Amino acid sequence: MHTEELTQVESTVATTDTPATTSALSADTPENAQFSPAALSLLAAALLAACGGGGGGGATGTAGGNNPGNTGNPADPDAMPIDPVTGMPVVVVQPPAAPGFNNAPKANNDAEAARFLQQAQFTSKTNEIASVRADTYATWLQLQFAKPIAQTGWDWLEARGYGNEAIAKDYVYNSTIADYMVWNQLFTAPDSMRKRIALALSEFFVVSLQSMEIDWRGYTITAYWDILNKFAFGNYRELLEEITLCPAMGYYLNTKGNQKEDVARGRQPDENYAREVMQLFTIGLYQLNLDGTPKGTTKEFETYDADDVSQLARVFTGYDFDRATYGNFAGVFPNYSIFKREYARQRMSFDATKHSTLAVSCIDINIAAGVAGPVALKTALDGLFKNPNVGPFFAKQMIQRLVTSSPSGAYVARVASAFNNDGAGVRGNLKAVWAAILLDDEARIPNPANTSFGKVREPMVRFVQWGRTFNLKSLQNSWKIYDQSSTSYGLGQSPLHSPSVFNFFRPGYVPPGTGLAVAPEFQIVNETTVGGYINFMTDIMRNGMKVPQPDKIDTNYVTPVLDIVPDYSTELALINNTVSSDAEATRVSGALADRLNLVLCAGQLSADSLAVVKNALKLAMLQGQAASRITAASLEKIKLDLVVAGVLLIMASSDYLVQK
Amino acid sequence: MYLLRPDLHTRRAFLQRSAQLAATGVALPTALNLAAMGEAAAQQATDYKALVCVFLYGGNDYANTVVTYDDPSHALYTTARGVAGTAGSISISKADLAPTALTPTTALAGGRQFALHPSMTGLANLFNTGKAAVQLNVGPLIKPVDKAGYLSSNRQTFPLPPKLFSHNDQQSIWQSSSGEGSTVGWGGNIGDLALSTNGGASLFTCISITGNAVFLSGDTAQSYQVGSGGPVRIYNVPTTGRLAYPYGFKDVGDAMGVLTTSTAMPNLLEKAYNSVTKRAVDSEVAISDAILSTGPLKDTNGNVIKDLAGNITYPGAFNGFVSLDDKGKALNNSLNDQLRMVARLIEARDKLSVKRQVFMVSLGGFDLHDNLIANQPKLMQYVSDAMTAFYKSTDAMGVADKVTAFTASDFGRTMANNGDGSDHGWGSHHLMVGGAVKGKSFYGYAPPVGNGDSKSTAEVDQWSVGQGRLLPTTSVDQYAATMAKWFGVPDDQMTSILPNLGNFNGQTTPSAIVYPANLGFML
Repeated sequence: MHTEELTQVESTVATTDTPATTSALSADTPENAQFSPAALSLLAAALLAACGGGGGGGATGTAGGNNPGNTGNPADPDAMPIDPVTGMPVVVVQPPAAPGFNNAPKANNDAEAARFLQQAQFTSKTNEIASVRADTYATWLQLQFAKPIAQTGWDWLEARGYGNEAIAKDYVYNSTIADYMVWNQLFTAPDSMRKRIALALSEFFVVSLQSMEIDWRGYTITAYWDILNKFAFGNYRELLEEITLCPAMGYYLNTKGNQKEDVARGRQPDENYAREVMQLFTIGLYQLNLDGTPKGTTKEFETYDADDVSQLARVFTGYDFDRATYGNFAGVFPNYSIFKREYARQRMSFDATKHSTLAVSCIDINIAAGVAGPVALKTALDGLFKNPNVGPFFAKQMIQRLVTSSPSGAYVARVASAFNNDGAGVRGNLKAVWAAILLDDEARIPNPANTSFGKVREPMVRFVQWGRTFNLKSLQNSWKIYDQSSTSYGLGQSPLHSPSVFNFFRPGYVPPGTGLAVAPEFQIVNETTVGGYINFMTDIMRNGMKVPQPDKIDTNYVTPVLDIVPDYSTELALINNTVSSDAEATRVSGALADRLNLVLCAGQLSADSLAVVKNALKLAMLQGQAASRITAASLEKIKLDLVVAGVLLIMASSDYLVQK
Repeated sequence: MYLLRPDLHTRRAFLQRSAQLAATGVALPTALNLAAMGEAAAQQATDYKALVCVFLYGGNDYANTVVTYDDPSHALYTTARGVAGTAGSISISKADLAPTALTPTTALAGGRQFALHPSMTGLANLFNTGKAAVQLNVGPLIKPVDKAGYLSSNRQTFPLPPKLFSHNDQQSIWQSSSGEGSTVGWGGNIGDLALSTNGGASLFTCISITGNAVFLSGDTAQSYQVGSGGPVRIYNVPTTGRLAYPYGFKDVGDAMGVLTTSTAMPNLLEKAYNSVTKRAVDSEVAISDAILSTGPLKDTNGNVIKDLAGNITYPGAFNGFVSLDDKGKALNNSLNDQLRMVARLIEARDKLSVKRQVFMVSLGGFDLHDNLIANQPKLMQYVSDAMTAFYKSTDAMGVADKVTAFTASDFGRTMANNGDGSDHGWGSHHLMVGGAVKGKSFYGYAPPVGNGDSKSTAEVDQWSVGQGRLLPTTSVDQYAATMAKWFGVPDDQMTSILPNLGNFNGQTTPSAIVYPANLGFML
């Protein structure tokens, strides 16, 4: 069976001039081969290589000539990787190298593997480094794509009991449970790449807990988080439709309750979603070249004008929460019944009597008067999705989230091409986008001459990386970690807590006076947040976090007790010296610093910084009287001080803070 | 088409300053501030002045902030927004507006009258007692343009600001004349000119109590960020006079200092990050000491100020006088917290050796596409309470005529009702507050009330580009220039701060609107 699929692939690669299909997901201008849908689902990542390079000829995916470590020949069952979750074999195909793409298909050492992992997910733990090094990067990606969602956020809330209607009074207007949910997901989910991608998507398709003032608000945004996870390795067009019609977005950008015009009362359709779906979720403000630069040399071309927005707004009328289908229940509040939570994860319902049936002309989208609402919606979303701006607009921002703030135009163009056509004629295949971003030479082959390469690690990503690296757990599974948006006392950022639909920072933000082109994350770097982060991490990294009543599900604030705890056993084991000699201290502090440098920083501490860290840890071991020096025989709490001192040194250093 | 390119803006300013620098024969970078700017800015004055930008993020609904109040206009407003109190209406009744009606010294032409939102009692009182004024229909413009120009396809003759109606870009344009990605704002440019006066304390020239905003970034001046609670002390990074002992290890503390403040590495992102940390560490002690050491707040007679409960008011705590509303109730809003920190820093101005400062504070939540009637009152009350309390605190410190606060926002909104809110617009009405403001007055032109016909150039539609989105009759450049002039920026430096100001130098449009460089609302 696998062999057959491969054969299909190879045969279609040869016919590079196959015409486009008429599917909504098909690419406009397939420069490359088409593949059967069956093959596509397995091979998406591998197949984009041809379009990434634009050539398409030459070696096909399984030749292996460019992949010295290739063990993934699908024809050989013994070499077939096993999906760690399902236990089923995963068919892996090695994409060929192409100009700018996949010319470094495999990690040559642990540091390279760690660097890849920190771009693709949160952590680079020892076993993860080993799994990357066991095969090619492409293999690892395809294994991640195959990992199912172990538990949805919704199911976690249910398992915790937050959906119990008897106590709904406590949770129907509570958004804190969504904080618990998302931290639990980020810290513990086995499908960590999917979680990393969902987090990146949550910063592009923004919905925020900062203003989610509806019934079952915690469940509503949890349903949104689940959508991002469900479609993280799916298709952009499907994701776009799902978020357009979900209650969280419906509330956040006002499609919920949006009604047709009423000339007598002066009412117009609400324009909010119509504007932001274009400006932020699909095409952006300016017509773009494939490489993400604005078209035009002496002036720029706007993608739409105010009238386009007013017209498109008509499409998004007639929708509201589907409360009729999912019903109410009484007895929670004395004077009124509340809605069953199920509505929060169902598409909004459509009421034709509230839908504007006026004709719509928006950019090149034309909908005749009287067209039924669902048809109009499909036409509008198809039209936006097919706009050539989407590829470069989305590609550049995703590269910024995962790899580097200022990607070259060529890098953007390669990823945008993969968006436009995954090699199988499919447009919007997100697996192809992630593979194109992560296997690109600009991501994989360090270029020390590029002094602007990299990105500031987002504070919430640092926190998650720390927790996952040190096996953070909630002793009683409470995961009562709150919103960490405080700039003075927290991270200055928290998942699903963007201050507005414009995310925590803008993709075009330029930090003044730095010589940098664009560096989005710098918009939340200032004299307050740099200290807030270090102080927050210092406070929690040694002992973990105290939470109120971890044995109960409620969110009341009472004197907190320890529940969220890290595990430094691997690092503590490194303090295995028995003699407090200078040489032993050098050896142990060196081993500790080297390990932390690898797992936290992908070995990217500069030689100078690494020397500073090692020296500080060595001096710490040797300080004081001989009896108080740190050896294997020291109290665990003393050894723990040393370990967390090392973690703090690295996580506070600029070498770490900028992922390169 | 004009593109407001920040690089051109910066280059122009740089060339001007370089020329001045060459004339003085000084070459050291530090001297650039002192020599070139000092003479040009003529700000050797010994007095103190501060500008405070109160930014309302999300685009404030102008029509329910400075609300039309005379009978004919209110009737048109009711037609557009629905009868107050009825389902789906977003209007406010005349009865509710009566207590906050504005009584200007000179009545507006055509019998036009306005009231502030009913929850803005404090600011209405400041207006009526001459401490606040209203600028009508102000927004980003490149050149004077009326409806015919707006509708023209000739963008050479009638250039428009880019990316109208877009939140992030219009925020940036309000603050810097350019869209997202701009690095230099007019607050920062004014700060550039003030650096000389402030000498070594230049870091405290442009201070943001809110997040990073382009408004406060100059070519030379850097925006310094401080939280509402004061600067954050990083306990595990040592600084002058203070060692650090992370987890008990001094050697680790010393290493923290190196790793977080060194800028010797090649990577520019790392350099930039550690530069911020270094600034934070270096300045934290100075600011903390300054705002904690000023002692009890005193009035102009040297008497200690007590709150209504009789407690002595300290700037460090500031939990008395300036934090209470008109009814003696403690204020609890983030804008007030930010302005309280501004007051504390102004109180510490001598300790920080600053003569000219530009501050920025902000409040979010104004993007009310829905639930306008339910949610705007709280926001308007925050703005009014906080700005009123801030005015009172400057008055108590004897610097009311040295401090001017003004509002700004992404854009105004539609007059049209989208069901229970309003959509993105352009021009808006804004407030200026302070002892140096020629208060109890309206400036600019009261626009016709109504949704307007987007394609018509009839008088009644002249200043609406559709759905009651106002076509501004005053530019942000004029608004800024008027305050910059008061602040001490000389006329020949104005265009380095506000590149389009030359287009607003007394020009008129065919519809007889005048665009003066100085709007006249400052003493």
